[in-house]
Amino acid sequence: MKFDIYFEEAEKIGLEALELYYEKESSLSFSLFHEEIESYRVSDTYALTARGIYKGKFGYCSTEKKDRCTPKYVVEQIKENAGINETKEIAEIYKGSARYVKKNVYNGEYKKIPTEHKIALAKEMERSLRKADSRIREVEIEYSESESEIGLLNSYGLKLKNKSNSLVYYVCAHATDESGETKSGYKISFENDFDKFNPNEIVREVVDKTISQLGGKPCKSGKYKTILDKKVVASLLSFFLSSASAEAISKKSSMLVDKLNTKIASKKLTIEERPLTRNMFFRSFDDEGVATSNKKIVDKGILKTYLYDLKNARKFNVEPTGNGYKGGDGKAGISFVNIYLKPGKKSLNELFQVVQDGIYITSVEGLHAGMNAQSGNFSLQAKGYQIENGKKGRPITLITVAGNLFDMIQNIKEVGSDSELLSSGFTSSSMYIKSMAISGN
Amino acid sequence: MITKRLAQQVLNECLSTGCDFAEIFLEETETEKLSVDNLCVETASSMTSYGAGIRLIRDLESVYGYTNDISKKGLMSLAFSLKQSFDEKRKKECAPIKKMRINNRHAPKIPYASYSKEERVRLLKKIASAMEIDEKIVRTLVNLNCNMQEVQIFNSDGKEVNDCRIRGRISMMAVAKDENGIETSHEGPGAQKGMEFFLEENDLVAKAKEVAEVALTMLKAKECPSGKMPVVIGNGFGGVIFHEACGHSLEASSVSKNLSVFSGKKGTQIASKLVSAVDDGTIPGGWGSGNVDDEGNRCQKNVLIKNGVLTSYMVDPFNGKRMNEKETGSSRRESYRYEPTSRMTNTFILPGKSTVEEMIKATPYGLYAKSLGGGSVNPATGEFNFAVDEAYMIEDGKITYPVKGATLIGSGSEILKKIDMVGNDLKRAQGMCGAASGSIPVDVGQPTIRVSEITVGGRGGVRQ
Repeated sequence: MKFDIYFEEAEKIGLEALELYYEKESSLSFSLFHEEIESYRVSDTYALTARGIYKGKFGYCSTEKKDRCTPKYVVEQIKENAGINETKEIAEIYKGSARYVKKNVYNGEYKKIPTEHKIALAKEMERSLRKADSRIREVEIEYSESESEIGLLNSYGLKLKNKSNSLVYYVCAHATDESGETKSGYKISFENDFDKFNPNEIVREVVDKTISQLGGKPCKSGKYKTILDKKVVASLLSFFLSSASAEAISKKSSMLVDKLNTKIASKKLTIEERPLTRNMFFRSFDDEGVATSNKKIVDKGILKTYLYDLKNARKFNVEPTGNGYKGGDGKAGISFVNIYLKPGKKSLNELFQVVQDGIYITSVEGLHAGMNAQSGNFSLQAKGYQIENGKKGRPITLITVAGNLFDMIQNIKEVGSDSELLSSGFTSSSMYIKSMAISGN
Repeated sequence: MITKRLAQQVLNECLSTGCDFAEIFLEETETEKLSVDNLCVETASSMTSYGAGIRLIRDLESVYGYTNDISKKGLMSLAFSLKQSFDEKRKKECAPIKKMRINNRHAPKIPYASYSKEERVRLLKKIASAMEIDEKIVRTLVNLNCNMQEVQIFNSDGKEVNDCRIRGRISMMAVAKDENGIETSHEGPGAQKGMEFFLEENDLVAKAKEVAEVALTMLKAKECPSGKMPVVIGNGFGGVIFHEACGHSLEASSVSKNLSVFSGKKGTQIASKLVSAVDDGTIPGGWGSGNVDDEGNRCQKNVLIKNGVLTSYMVDPFNGKRMNEKETGSSRRESYRYEPTSRMTNTFILPGKSTVEEMIKATPYGLYAKSLGGGSVNPATGEFNFAVDEAYMIEDGKITYPVKGATLIGSGSEILKKIDMVGNDLKRAQGMCGAASGSIPVDVGQPTIRVSEITVGGRGGVRQ
């Protein structure tokens, strides 16, 4: 792609520096309904996100257009937008890190497998699901594969590129029992190598997740020893990580202000960011061009670092940590890739044994509204199972679990050994919390 | 964006392997965002979204593709790749294309372009200053988001529709903090109108003060007690309860596949007799309104529930085929990147006769959920949850003290039947609704209503 013209236009109108970030993406996906292809999608897209500095301020512009007028339009918009920007922070476009780790995480083999084969596998899973239990009334299966190339170029000559791909099966079953009550269960299975999918395992898991919920009722309100499923743990901890963002710290809107190198959680909690792990979430540079690195964020309950983009690193006078990732408007925000929760030694069943009597929460809903990202107070709709005599017992549904995230992490008794990389890019494990407030009947 | 001739050529390429319908949706959307954080312009950005989506349908099978390359080469190559999904002989040719005339009912009076970015900044700062009513207000955030979406739709039935949608929304947030904690409050008025909506039709300064006051009130709130209790749900954004717990389950995308609790329930009593509700895409300047939907069918007013009886679903042509129903102008999508499906427009419960005072007075013990936050629902089970942003306890028929951290949970079909009072104070509020075809602007709305019993989640313990 020809980007030189952007830099020439930028210079012409007096931009002090320019940074271009592009994403090329192509994808194919399909979904089944009653073993027939219901929808089939392909896409091929390109988007450019640009920011530039004019009179010391950032201006932003992004576009999906690629015609002759685009470069001039983009730099002019940047200039206009920079003109009204009033932030006091020093605008900076990065000159480059000394070293970038190179790993190839793209696997193009999936293209050699005919689409018919991918469809056949989905149909086979639908048949197995229906056969597995007569109460399974509807099945939804979606497959999608995508590959994306991102690139970063700037006026200092920095040129970086990353290419990755992912293949995903989403399998969901709806089961209805004699009382007419319906429950759904699903599994998102993803790989970058098609041969690694294990359809039998996916089906087994979906059947179990769905059927075991039938007959679920709220439990009695009260405080319970609680085990959180690894998916729930990942969702909750991602709010914790947002609080570790240096932006939130600088705006004083985080509970982690002044908590660096202090104990903020149980010693069972160790959270790392491992962007350099070889998997489809691998990134050797962030969206500002800063080299990423593996690091401990929480070590045995002690907060080791905040997460910095360039702007906040400058403000706090520290090195950027490679956590500047762009949002839709082109502005760098603080985010993270490949989060790793250090697993413990006990399996999920062993945790049930330890708890003896309590609640096992397998899913929470409504995080976008029910979690106060700043205070950490939450009250969430949840479902799961009773833990009775050290075993997973009867299903419970329509309960709310309430608490405070920052209190909760102080009360982690154990982290499970059932570590798994989830589709959110979070390697998570189950967690046993000393006590949580459950409201049901 | 493209000529009739090229459209016809692309559609004919699509039809050549036996599909019975083909459609091209072209779009160019310009979005401008301004954000004022603590009275300082933090971000100004411009975004252009540009591309085309092509859809092929044969019976109940649909194929969709999209690209940013809307040149002849780009569109023909996308059509070629999509048509490989079918392997029959051509059944039809594209009908002669005729342009549909549209009378734009949502055109802005004061276009955004006539109001410079500097002037917009001044307005946002005025709103932000109005929120600084107390030193406990530690942060204010005011954004203006305006966009113009131009679309061009062609289909093999010979339809051509051109439409232009202009929307603006100002969102304001206040963060209050004291030694006990942090509370936030926000409002986000928006419309399919120009600057007149902000300059003439709304008192944004008064709204900003209210936002700040709510944040301060919530600082003083106690934790909400939990358990089952009657709940009075405030008007306006309180309608999100209906949107989530009922609206989504009335969309043909889940109804037609028998995945909704309301599948096959047309003509039956699904709600209390006090409840009548509509989905009205025709409200002039409405946030969720349209001249036409995203398949080029005219938007209309659909009565969903009349006196508790289910009267209509929201139907798009594709799902309509499966359930043998006519489309209702409900097919929507975020952008060319999404295949359209049945969605809501402006959906709300119609007013009744009670006043808020009567509802409070009739409640010996319960929750007044004055303002709700977001929520979600599983359409298969109807189970929903909502966060309550502003709430008060009702004791002995009186509002006594503010409470925080409340969540309402239940199942949509049950709640509808438990609505036992409907107020006379209908109000609509703006939101963004996310589902299969992306995030789209919708209005939710209702008068204040009372539900005889909802499970309330909170951290304040169970009432003895």
